[in-house]
Amino acid sequence: MTSDITLILRFLSILGGGAMAGILGSLTGLGGATVLVPLLTLFYGIPIYFATGASLISTIATSAGSASGYTKHKIANIKIGVGLEIATTAGAIVGSLTIVAVHEAHASWIIYVLFGIVLLGSLIPTIQRSSSEEPLKRKPDWTTRIFQLAGEYYDTKLKKKISYEGVRWWLAEIIMFFAGVISGLLGIGSGALKVLGMDWAMNLPMKVTTTTSNFMIGITAATGSSIYWYEGYIQLFIAGATAIGVVIGAYIGSRLLLKITNKNIRWIFFSILSFLGVEMLLEGLDKAKVLVIATTIEEMISIAVAIIMISGLYLKTRRGERAVKAA
Amino acid sequence: MNVPSKQRDIDSITSLILRVGVLSSLSLIIVGVILLFIRGSADGVSISQIASFHSTFNSSYLNPTHIVQGLIAVDPLYFITLGLWVLIFTPITVVFTSMVTFITAGNRLYIAMSLIVLFNLFFAMLAIPSLIHT
Repeated sequence: MTSDITLILRFLSILGGGAMAGILGSLTGLGGATVLVPLLTLFYGIPIYFATGASLISTIATSAGSASGYTKHKIANIKIGVGLEIATTAGAIVGSLTIVAVHEAHASWIIYVLFGIVLLGSLIPTIQRSSSEEPLKRKPDWTTRIFQLAGEYYDTKLKKKISYEGVRWWLAEIIMFFAGVISGLLGIGSGALKVLGMDWAMNLPMKVTTTTSNFMIGITAATGSSIYWYEGYIQLFIAGATAIGVVIGAYIGSRLLLKITNKNIRWIFFSILSFLGVEMLLEGLDKAKVLVIATTIEEMISIAVAIIMISGLYLKTRRGERAVKAA
Repeated sequence: MNVPSKQRDIDSITSLILRVGVLSSLSLIIVGVILLFIRGSADGVSISQIASFHSTFNSSYLNPTHIVQGLIAVDPLYFITLGLWVLIFTPITVVFTSMVTFITAGNRLYIAMSLIVLFNLFFAMLAIPSLIHT
């Protein structure tokens, strides 16, 4: 009987971790998995292949759960999303086949290292993102007309209609292919790359980008899921708990997203992601026996790097704001 | 420029499908997990084995084509399996509904693009797993 209670508690604790990941994933548009995989491997001691499997499943849940809210508010652009899915689904196939080969070669450290790099790399598009809610106007190009990239939405915070015209569709497709590869490879939605593709390449407004990305993530993850399933990367007990957890988290997150400003979102996500990114990177190097260090030292390094990164970013942003005010 | 009413309809349908998909999937998972705790085992596998982080028991032992038999036998694992597959199929149905609006709008380019997406999805689901295991 006691063992049953332990197992119930184990289920609930995974569910709780999933909920935390879901809130962050939905606020950032990255999908809950970006936080979930490091959480499950580093703090729960779950093997990386089960972590990525649970994460891919949870990615679909968090995407569908929060996208149902966004599409109802007419912010996400489904048309642009479907068009870009050509590249992400193709990429996801390539990515999940690669991961099968990596596991068969017993080289799972590669996944940790890649995960760390992708996590830290997710920060770059966010740093370079302009602080304004509306993108600078760009001249529509030939892809705007052919691929019908114009749209509009009502911003509840600014209390006005915002219309936009996407550009450079081809560049977004190229970025989306790599987003798909990363998704299949690491079991995440790779929302950061999707955001990069739509925000930076296509010049869409931030809200449209994050919500459309959230909707696309589910389709990308569904592509890899079946390959993961037959390869046995999905442990039903873990995947079931995280799926329920992230949906609860994503629901809370989507409520928050419509209320808080982009600036707040960025700081929460910077600090947590940079810590987890460094931690995953070090764990991978440790597993590859390139850099063998004790866990406590590993954590201290991660915290130190995270603090330095966040302070640097914070100061840079403040200076930018002051420059804007002075002008 | 007003958003066409068809577009508004499809947005509502999409939202509904996503919600129904997620909720039914999660309900099935929850039913499966509760059954699992009540019965203490499933299909001859003990619950501690199923719940282990280093379990050798995983999705590769559960064939989605056995879901119907599994449900009739009230096997907890097949409730969870069905829940997870409903979840996997939820975003795919959205591609279908978008394609329907592209068809009604006569938008040939986007009909073709959604067909390519669906092809990729089903290629990954049906063709690749059998290709790997042959």
